[in-house]
Amino acid sequence: MAAAYLTHHQKVLRLYKKSLRHIESWCIFRDKYRFYACLLRARFDENKHEKDMMKATMMLKAGEEEFWANQHPQPYLFPDSPGGTSYERYECYKVPEWCLDHWHPSEKAMYPDYFAKREQWKKLRMRTRPVINLNILE
Amino acid sequence: MTLIMHSSLLLIFFILVYPLLTTLNPNQQDSNMAGMTKTAVSSAFFVSLLPLMIFLNLKTEGIITNWQWMNTQAFDVNISFKFDHYSLIFVPIALYVTWSILEFALWYMHSDPNIDRFFKYLLTFLVAMIILVTANNMFQLFIGWEGVGIMSFLLIGWWHGRADANTAALQAVIYNRVGDIGLIMTMAWLAMNLNSWEIQQIFALSKNFDMTIPLMGLALAATGKSAQFGLHPWLPVAMEGPTPVSALLHSSTMVVAGIFLLIRLHPRMENNQLALTTCLCLGALTSLFTATCALTQNDIKKIVAFSTSSQLGLMMVTIGLNQPQLAFLHICTHAFFKAMLFLCSGSIIHSLNDEQDIRKMGGLFNIMPATSTYFTIGSLALTGTPFLAGFFSKDAIIEALNTSYLNAWALTLTLIATSFTAVYSFRLVYFVIMGTPRFLPLSPINENNPLVINTIKRLAWGSIIAGLIITQNFPPMKTPIMTMSITLKMAALMVTIAGLLVAMELANLTSKQVKITPMISTHHFSNMLGFYPMIIHRLIPKLKLTLGQSAATQLDKTWLETVGPKGLALTQMAMAKITNDITRGMIKTYLTIFLLTLILATIPVLL
Repeated sequence: MAAAYLTHHQKVLRLYKKSLRHIESWCIFRDKYRFYACLLRARFDENKHEKDMMKATMMLKAGEEEFWANQHPQPYLFPDSPGGTSYERYECYKVPEWCLDHWHPSEKAMYPDYFAKREQWKKLRMRTRPVINLNILE
Repeated sequence: MTLIMHSSLLLIFFILVYPLLTTLNPNQQDSNMAGMTKTAVSSAFFVSLLPLMIFLNLKTEGIITNWQWMNTQAFDVNISFKFDHYSLIFVPIALYVTWSILEFALWYMHSDPNIDRFFKYLLTFLVAMIILVTANNMFQLFIGWEGVGIMSFLLIGWWHGRADANTAALQAVIYNRVGDIGLIMTMAWLAMNLNSWEIQQIFALSKNFDMTIPLMGLALAATGKSAQFGLHPWLPVAMEGPTPVSALLHSSTMVVAGIFLLIRLHPRMENNQLALTTCLCLGALTSLFTATCALTQNDIKKIVAFSTSSQLGLMMVTIGLNQPQLAFLHICTHAFFKAMLFLCSGSIIHSLNDEQDIRKMGGLFNIMPATSTYFTIGSLALTGTPFLAGFFSKDAIIEALNTSYLNAWALTLTLIATSFTAVYSFRLVYFVIMGTPRFLPLSPINENNPLVINTIKRLAWGSIIAGLIITQNFPPMKTPIMTMSITLKMAALMVTIAGLLVAMELANLTSKQVKITPMISTHHFSNMLGFYPMIIHRLIPKLKLTLGQSAATQLDKTWLETVGPKGLALTQMAMAKITNDITRGMIKTYLTIFLLTLILATIPVLL
């Protein structure tokens, strides 16, 4: 759901996932990682039936503080994810889509299906663009 | 003989500049710029072997002064090339390494639409580097110096859509600029006091001068260009550029420009103890600091970058020991194995789909046997394994360090840095090559392209025999101390083996379930690069902005505006407002006063 606030459930899951990723950054070998990941899962599971929200929130806060203290300074990031080594690498080769309008007809004829669909898309865009009312004085 | 030598050396320049001139042609259709560049560099290499052989045979060195460029009554600036021991050996090595890297780049950057521009930039860099190395006067050296700096900026920021790459390129340029302050100061001092920028005249005229100021300027220049401690953060972030760039610029050629400058002007430094001690201590500190940072990095290119920085520190230590020839030997051998390490990393990265983190590599020994063999050879050469290339230079440096009468602190730091070299090299080999795979199963791993394998094989041959060839053919100019105790003689080897054993034990511990995190404080110090970039990149701009703000508020706003005109205007307005507000809306009072005034005015008229 897309609201302004995170639910408790979402916060707990986010803490779990980032803890797992940081354990993966620390424990390089997979068997060692699996061992500590299972320990972490057990720690989360033993408190999952907690009904008292205040206690649950306090536990979450303690968990976040423990995460902050034990995080890895250079967590493993996938190359294409933000902060990774090849993120935004090919932005300089990306051309804006209006350049397609300037192709020569012989070049456009090489991709007939795409350009036909493109005309329909452009008509749809013209029909559904937001109308800005400039008569604000009325 | 001199004619053959000089003409072949000038021929090298023309061979290298020709592909650049063809790019000026406006009708560029199907020009095989990339292949042509590689052929040009390889033919330039073979041509450059001729002067090298002549030098070996006859010990001919040459100075060509071609053109009087800007000559006034009192000052001459010429274009002159110096082909002595240093440039005659360095040019073939640089051309050999560049040839291999360009051939590798044909494979690595194959899918890049702007590959021709990439090769043009690399070639421009090579020309600038050769200008720097063969310069006989400071002005020409400065042209080459700035040229390599700018090409470094353009090449690091090759993928300019990436914000990190632009930041890294800016960092490289700004840190190099700070070093350039030192070089320009030296050039100004030389112009003012010795009235010349020619190297021979500097040596001849400066016997009676106190050369501390220019030598400190040169040390600052080397600190900037060769990433010594204080101006070092640009080198690891320069790994944002493509791997051929890292291999050529930031390991073999550009970063040694600072050390080369000090080697060229070394006869002036011999007698100045302050300059020598500065170089020694700075180099030792750099070597240890960057080796410490390399211990916990996880990006394969960053580890190799820090190892480059550590070796540059070692070269600086050698300069401080008054042994420029050993520093030069280390430059030459280091070029081979460091470029090979970078090319092997590039091959691995490309095969694993741009994965650069060693935590997600492993078990490559069976899948990429050739690359992992060459990688191991490079690492062994780096640590100074006996009789590979690195041994001849590194061991000689450590022996000279042990037997000279100087700073024990610098000695300790350098020995610890040598053992750390073994530690991070083993760590790298352990995580990348040994063990079981940790990368994704469908990775396009192949090493069946001759462009890759032949180039790395060539550099591997260089890593193995270059040390032997160079030391056998060029006797040392300064007599090395031959007699020392067994401990001192074996110190480098012992320290390296100790580091290797410690690394093996730690690697063994990593795979056991002892605990998740290592000792947090030391790990964080090493991983965050000693917090140096973090502090400096925030502190210095903050200080400047605070200075700017206090200048703007205290000086401009207060003393120039408020004390004078604006303050006056403000007080006047305040008083007027108060007066106005007090007497607002009192109509009856106004009418009464009006009538009173009227009566008072008319009474004398009536009377």
